[in-house]
Amino acid sequence: MDFGFTTAAYVVAGVLFILSLGGLSGQESAKRAVWYGIVGMAIAVLATLIGPGAGLWILSIVLVAAGAAVGYQLATRVEMTQMPELVAIMHSLVGLAAVFVGFNADIMINMVSGVYADAGRVLGAVAEDGYTAIGLPNDVFKELSAFGQLVAKKTAVEITILRVELVLGIWIGAVTFTGSVVAYGKLSGNSSLLPFKIDTAAKQLPGGHLLNAAAAALSLVLLIMYLSGAGSWTLVLLALAAFFIGYHLIMGIGGADMPVVVSMLNSYSGWAAAAIGFSLGNDLLIVVGALVGSSGAILSYIMCKAMNRSFVSVILGGFGGGGGAQMAVEGEQIAIDADGVVAALADADSVIIVPGYGMAVAQAQQSVSELTRKMRTAGKEVRFAIHPVAGRLPGHMNVLLAEAKVPYDIVLEMDEINDDFPETDVVIVIGSNDIVNPAAQDDPNSPIAGMPVLEVWKAKQVFVSKRGQGTGYSGIENPLFYKENTRMFYGDAKVSVDSLLPKME
Amino acid sequence: MKIGTPKETAEGEARVAMTPQSAKDLQKLGYDCLVESGAGLAAGFDDAAYTEAGVEVVSGEALWSDADIVAKVRPPSDAEAGTLSEGQTLISFFYPAANEPLMNIAKDQKANVIAMDMVPRISRAQKMDALSSMANIAGYRSVIEAGNNFGRFFTGQVTAAGKVPPAKVLVVGAGVAGLAAIGTATSLGAITLAFDVRPEVAEQIESMGAEFVFLEFDEEQTDGAATGGYAAPSSPEFRDAQLAKFRELAPEVDIVITTALIPNRDAPVLWTKDMVEAMKPGSVIVDLAAERGGNCELTVADEKIATENGVTIVGYTDFPSRMATQSSLLYSTNIRHMMTDLTPEKDGQVVHDMEDDVIRGATVTYAGEITYPPPPPKVQAIAAQPAKPAPKELTPDEKRAQEVAAFRKQTTNQVGLLAIGGGLILAVGLVAPASFMQHFIVFVLSVFVGFQVIWNVSHSLHTPLMAVTNAISSIIILGALMQVGSNSVIIMILAALGILMASVNIFGGFLVTRRMLAMFQKS
Repeated sequence: MDFGFTTAAYVVAGVLFILSLGGLSGQESAKRAVWYGIVGMAIAVLATLIGPGAGLWILSIVLVAAGAAVGYQLATRVEMTQMPELVAIMHSLVGLAAVFVGFNADIMINMVSGVYADAGRVLGAVAEDGYTAIGLPNDVFKELSAFGQLVAKKTAVEITILRVELVLGIWIGAVTFTGSVVAYGKLSGNSSLLPFKIDTAAKQLPGGHLLNAAAAALSLVLLIMYLSGAGSWTLVLLALAAFFIGYHLIMGIGGADMPVVVSMLNSYSGWAAAAIGFSLGNDLLIVVGALVGSSGAILSYIMCKAMNRSFVSVILGGFGGGGGAQMAVEGEQIAIDADGVVAALADADSVIIVPGYGMAVAQAQQSVSELTRKMRTAGKEVRFAIHPVAGRLPGHMNVLLAEAKVPYDIVLEMDEINDDFPETDVVIVIGSNDIVNPAAQDDPNSPIAGMPVLEVWKAKQVFVSKRGQGTGYSGIENPLFYKENTRMFYGDAKVSVDSLLPKME
Repeated sequence: MKIGTPKETAEGEARVAMTPQSAKDLQKLGYDCLVESGAGLAAGFDDAAYTEAGVEVVSGEALWSDADIVAKVRPPSDAEAGTLSEGQTLISFFYPAANEPLMNIAKDQKANVIAMDMVPRISRAQKMDALSSMANIAGYRSVIEAGNNFGRFFTGQVTAAGKVPPAKVLVVGAGVAGLAAIGTATSLGAITLAFDVRPEVAEQIESMGAEFVFLEFDEEQTDGAATGGYAAPSSPEFRDAQLAKFRELAPEVDIVITTALIPNRDAPVLWTKDMVEAMKPGSVIVDLAAERGGNCELTVADEKIATENGVTIVGYTDFPSRMATQSSLLYSTNIRHMMTDLTPEKDGQVVHDMEDDVIRGATVTYAGEITYPPPPPKVQAIAAQPAKPAPKELTPDEKRAQEVAAFRKQTTNQVGLLAIGGGLILAVGLVAPASFMQHFIVFVLSVFVGFQVIWNVSHSLHTPLMAVTNAISSIIILGALMQVGSNSVIIMILAALGILMASVNIFGGFLVTRRMLAMFQKS
């Protein structure tokens, strides 16, 4: 039973998905692109409902509607600062769905081979003419569901491949699931909806990565046992091992590395979908899974590059040991009050604001936007410099600033703006630390040596809005704070910026 | 203790070392202030103003004998130096290198002399760096003086009565005076060019709005930091290159302001006779180095002359004095800062700490000894420039070779990856059945398309990208939809859960993406 129409619809949907991702190259085309994605998804789901998924229409539609309701609530209620958490928790859903679908495939194989056994045949056996012996009585075959029929037509080799694929799907899906849940816990901190709290610091069970390696080895053993017909219990154990890996791996990674983790999980959820696509013989799943997988992989790569760290070192957690002592920082941090900042801003012609995670934590984006508006009204050139790993999600800062109605054409990325700092009068650093650390360039022994950073210290004057004198996430002393042209503006980012606003007239 | 300021005796000197404002600040340090009657008149401060500020107005003789500290502007005359008494402190410009006899008189009188021109150039001492504050005024005034003698506008204008081209100003030497001149000239609207032998000041020049005149010359330049922030004398070859550049500029520029001076040397001649002759009639040269012979060959110190071809050359040496009010205010503030450092307890008692870098550096005689020249300061004047690895200028050939090599490397990389990838796929194809390979091709091509497409996604849209990919990765719902119709209950339940979760994701993901994208507004 083939569904020519369904395949045609899948082609259309696949093209739409590619266009949808391609359209994200610009802000304006992106608004159109998201519609391509929506239409593509609608076509794909409808085509499946009409074709191979025609089994339980009512149940399917009810479930989709219920899911839609929950999704709508999530999407409309979420604060923009919580985007990283939302993305993480959504990944976990894809992962879990992949696990379920994978298990289903296994159950179906067992069921089909049961049907074969009842009919006195062997699933996947090859007939004397060299072709697959379906050999089932037509009425028995017809009674199987669409997927069952698909399985029933496979040869022994194809069944083995199918099993490998579904194991991959389950395994990746399971890692994605627990990994995403942990990432969600770490990102949401106190506002987490989870019944248990997850420490944002990098923590591991005793044994560290050996445990992960052991779990991975166990998975491999289980895979071999499963393939040689040990039964479905191996699959359950395998899923448990993968759950553990996902949990333990992400537990060992600190909060600030979450941009990489989230994009990595994004990638995994894609690969899981692709693996399931293989096992179901569904090309659209494969196409989309591959697109999502490569997209996540590229994002992870960009993030790692921005931190000058290899992907492995991020995943293995913590910073690699930098040899030798770090340069001692001389001088003192000089504080300044709101009046001083306002006076300097009043004199400045060009201002660059460098936001970081601290701005998101303090929910200061509206205040920053208001400050920007006032300065722009006063005829000053105000721009934003965004480091690729600012925040907890790729592009996090852009979304926050967009939410606060900061026009996107004054929000620039590192490469676009880094050369402009020497001509800038004032730089305001709000809640970022490591991404503006000159030690990355000056001190070869610094743990972040070689990481591309925003060269804010080249500006005439730098104000750093920061809660206290502590070091950043990486625990590295930041020589920027001790520079002669740097003034520390202590306090919660939102309170600090708000204190500037009334004086900016 | 009493601090007193006499009337300046040098001819034409209008400045005064104490103003009513600085007197108030000195009183806060615990000093009683004296001033000679009429001392501030030329600078715009009459005796009444001083009295009002709590300053005792006395006669000249009384001042020299009563004051424990005498603060003045110009070096004392021999007669004045002769009246110094033991333990009395004199603060003024002193130029010890040129005034050895005067220094000997002060030494014989056992007076302590602090020379304001010897204050070391370190960050801490900037507030008492009188040379800089005077140079700043000189730089400003030089442009005003040039404008006064220049028959046209500085700024370009298009008026109903015709178009006015902007004046072109060349500033030679970008020290404090030069930078001040650049700032003044650009703010008047002139096109300003500036030259300095120290390439590291190019940035400062450009920051003031002038264009740095770049000299094609590969001599190893001495780092300005090694000479206390001043330029070092340059080699003859370098000078020739420099003069050739000036000769080229001479016919174009309307106003030339020269400020090139190296401490304790005659001013280098940078603007020769033939350059003056090449200039347009009506052009103006202001020579701030006139006191030391002038940077322009034709300069006459203290005079304004006109050449045969109508070029005015201003050689005044008293620019700060021509703005006596402003320069007195700044100079008296410098003095006041010096006194602050000399009075650590703020109790009106001078503590002449010879261990202090700044005080030691500025002191030329102390307790009957000549203490000039001072040892080098313990603190480096200006942070030494880190030794830059010289960015090698590549010849076009080398560049080309590099490009070719890079291209080749890229090609090898790409071909290598393709070969490995192709080999792997072939290997898979050998064992896998055809039905798998069909899907596999789709997979590989999709990954490829994915990579091509995602690289173009703008950085700022990475969060929406993740939300979209998240939504579309819920395509896994198709699998669940296909399975839900099964006749096994477990499959049905699991598939149903899968559908539910995936649809949460689809709707949540797309909606939140739309929400985010709608926020991106262009200004």
